[in-house]
Amino acid sequence: MLFAGLREQVGWAEQQWPADPNCTSEITPRQLWLNLKLPGDLGPQVRVAINRQFADADTPLKPGDELAFLPPISGG
Amino acid sequence: MQLRVDLHSTNFEPLVALARWQEERQQSGISNNAAEAVFVGRVRGVAADGSELEALELEHYPGMTEQQLERLALDCCHRHGVNSCLAKHRIGRVLPGEAIVLVAIGADRRGPAQRCCQELLEALKHDAPFWKREWRANGSSEWLSGNTPL
Repeated sequence: MLFAGLREQVGWAEQQWPADPNCTSEITPRQLWLNLKLPGDLGPQVRVAINRQFADADTPLKPGDELAFLPPISGG
Repeated sequence: MQLRVDLHSTNFEPLVALARWQEERQQSGISNNAAEAVFVGRVRGVAADGSELEALELEHYPGMTEQQLERLALDCCHRHGVNSCLAKHRIGRVLPGEAIVLVAIGADRRGPAQRCCQELLEALKHDAPFWKREWRANGSSEWLSGNTPL
């Protein structure tokens, strides 16, 4: 899932990524960022959320996880 | 600890919300706080580039934003040992002068009330997934990449 300026820059909001049963290594948000051809490197300005909780970009993903890349937050 | 966190897709009046919060506490038999700290944030009429602002658009991450607001409020309230917390935040299109955020903390003493109020406000500005987009009077718009200085 993408939000705000990042979503508009890339042109999509949500995608399903199929889990590969033959893949021996677990995919991480950082790897998925590259596989999805998202812009540049996944730097500190973009935060990662897995299942609606902040997470490290190198956390292995499990089938069914909801992953979001969050551009700089500006609440309040 | 009494906690209430709300997202609003339409305008809310902070003073009315505070009066209701007070009534609810009295009706539920919760004693009055000796100290209450309140912060109301409103939308400026000026965009970051100095031009006239027509509206602010607030996007959020449904599900995560609510959970994160509650988590931040609980952590902050427990850390400061306060009695009650009300946090309201707008989503959607917000006009200049309208309230965008309300944080109210009730405690036994002014120190914890004020510190908790300020800390929770900063936490929700930086750690609750909201995104602001400025719509300028000339029709252009831009997503903001951060918060205004303290």
